[in-house]
Amino acid sequence: MSLPQETWRWVTDPAHWQGIDGIPTRLGEQVHLSLESVAIGALIALPVGIVLGHYGRFGNLAINISNVGRAVPSFGILVIAFQVFGLGDVPIVIALTALAVPPMVTNSYVALREVDPDVKDAARGMGYRELPQLLRVELPLAVPLIMAGIRTSAVQVVATATLAALIAGGGLGRYIVDGLARSDNPRLLAGALLVAALALATELLLAGLQQVLIPRGIRLLRAPSGQRAATLKVA
Amino acid sequence: MGSRVFLDVVDPWINWDWLSTHIPYVLAAVQEHLVLTAIALAGGLVIALPLGIAARRWTNLHLRPAVLTVFGAFYTIPSIALFALLIPYTGLGTLTAEIPLIGYNVLILVRNVLVGLDAVPPDVIDAADGMGYRPWARLIQVELPLALPAIFAGLRVATVSTIGIVTITAVIGLGGLGQLILRGLIESFHTPLVVATALCILLAFFADLLVAGAQRVAVPWSRPA
Amino acid sequence: MNAKLALRLVAASAVALVIAACGGSSSGGGTAGKGTLTVAGFNFPESSILAQIYGQALVHDGYTINYKLNLGTRKVVAPALQSGQIDLYPGYAASELEYYNKSAGEATPDPVATTAKLNTYLASINAVALTPSPAVDGNAYAVTQATATKYNLKTLSDLTPIAGQLVFGAGPECPTYKFCLPGLMSVYGLHFKQTLTLDTDGPATRAAFKNGSIQVGLVFSSDSDLKSLGLVVLEDDKHMIAADNVVAVVRTAVATAGVKTVLNKIDTGLTTNDLFTMNGQVELLHQDPDAVAAAFLQKHNYFS
Repeated sequence: MSLPQETWRWVTDPAHWQGIDGIPTRLGEQVHLSLESVAIGALIALPVGIVLGHYGRFGNLAINISNVGRAVPSFGILVIAFQVFGLGDVPIVIALTALAVPPMVTNSYVALREVDPDVKDAARGMGYRELPQLLRVELPLAVPLIMAGIRTSAVQVVATATLAALIAGGGLGRYIVDGLARSDNPRLLAGALLVAALALATELLLAGLQQVLIPRGIRLLRAPSGQRAATLKVA
Repeated sequence: MGSRVFLDVVDPWINWDWLSTHIPYVLAAVQEHLVLTAIALAGGLVIALPLGIAARRWTNLHLRPAVLTVFGAFYTIPSIALFALLIPYTGLGTLTAEIPLIGYNVLILVRNVLVGLDAVPPDVIDAADGMGYRPWARLIQVELPLALPAIFAGLRVATVSTIGIVTITAVIGLGGLGQLILRGLIESFHTPLVVATALCILLAFFADLLVAGAQRVAVPWSRPA
Repeated sequence: MNAKLALRLVAASAVALVIAACGGSSSGGGTAGKGTLTVAGFNFPESSILAQIYGQALVHDGYTINYKLNLGTRKVVAPALQSGQIDLYPGYAASELEYYNKSAGEATPDPVATTAKLNTYLASINAVALTPSPAVDGNAYAVTQATATKYNLKTLSDLTPIAGQLVFGAGPECPTYKFCLPGLMSVYGLHFKQTLTLDTDGPATRAAFKNGSIQVGLVFSSDSDLKSLGLVVLEDDKHMIAADNVVAVVRTAVATAGVKTVLNKIDTGLTTNDLFTMNGQVELLHQDPDAVAAAFLQKHNYFS
């Protein structure tokens, strides 16, 4: 039996869908880790990017945070965090959050910078004060790029969460690491394909969400934005 | 520096003694890391450039969607899995590491080659035609130079990305700074881990600077982002 | 950033990178000599030490050596030997036998008999195991001092009545490895409350002991850091674990008389205490495996 056939056998085996090492459990763990990391990352990155973009100051700071952030090796951060915090979810969430932050900072910064100055002038002219202007005028216009940044982060994080298995963590990476250790190639390939499928699903889901969230007026005005911070593979 | 009492030995985050006696070891790892990275970038470029050009020229072959889909799918597969799956076929050496690394870079670079070439204003193409440029000459002397900023942007992303993924090749016995990280993990030893992580960041930072600088030299009119 | 500054930065970066790239020393400065061999080790420190001992002795004898250390579990290393990607590795007699005979249960506490049986299987894949060493390192099962005191544990049999209350931690290959879960279940009737997949005697297992996620865990009998971690090894009173003596596993094609002499000389002089001491130097004092290996060879005059 060839590897693809054995892998199909492995995936369709009902035994592999039950229990703590079953596909639903591992999938759930991967999603949980990713959600947590992107959420925390967004809580850090979005305010920073939005504020810097709104005031237009320290633009270089935003870009530099992003550049240094992208240079951080996830594997290294994971192991350092493991040596500080030991077993559990904390190390991988730290590593993934570090991964999630840079694209969201860059994109939200650029998104706010790109708001047409005429629109901001008009808002000022209409009597908007600083915060309401930001919230009700600039942010809605910035949503497409911000969402694109979140999407980039999410897809990267979902794929990289496989590293958790290197420090005895769960998630789909478990199939890859265990498959390697046991020379069990169907398990290994199944794990790899499941991660790829999950990453793809995340991309599609968030692209759909983006369409829903963009204010109707802007959606009609612009074609879907193809711009985004270039996707960065780190694992 | 923060220190943790580990077993009977105090294990500082960086043991400068260890570092000073292990400089050749660390530099050898850096060298290996750089070589793996350079091959991956060169390989990626060598494949992505012709692919991108071909995809735009021979649109009847529907190369563009095919290339983007195939390499895009490849991109979503975790590197550890690819390395592990390749070992029985391509062995334990550089080739096994480079196939996925180059594959990932092809996606990043081909997207930027396409965006760059797409962005060449039609007026410029018309003007070139009007001036008598034949298609290949037009490509090499007019379109590609104008596409360079986008290609360089892609190269910067690919560079930083590759330096990070090379660390993972240590998990299957390959080299680079990842071996120091792995050693730090297996021996519960802080110093090689911290040193390797810091060096990775520095390496990526400098490499990014190098590419940005090269862009400045090659296309002075463009502003690296 | 203006062009001049940019150019200066580029030049500086390029110089720095070139220095870094050229600064690394290349390995194996020997002459053409007797050829090149690839020595592999499993993914734990003792294996790196043993591989280095083999490798350095062979270098002294005129070979050029490539190392593939921390390569992985036996399931990664053995196929690599079979396909010729590596030439030799320091194995453990009983575990090698039970791997190559697909857990047929033929290993005994007698290292010589075990190795002879091993060779009947290795012959069919063009490999050979050399003379087994007196040094032994096999699977061992440890509990924390607290657990041992609480349940009055000294041997693995003591675990049988209470196993259902305890969590067990081991590596990914444990469920299918003869001297791990299958053995614990069939020989001692141990059915743990839960089995966690951690690593094989690595940092994750130690961390799990430390934070109480596991009460019983897999370690190796020659580990030197157990005492300082407050771990107690339970005695294998029913002799489930057979003769895991260190033995060199070599591809027949490279197992020349010269290679065999070098490796056998090392293995016959290697004791369990040596393993324990060298492990301590690496695990506790963070010395380099290659330095520890060199010191061992010097001490035993292998270089004379």
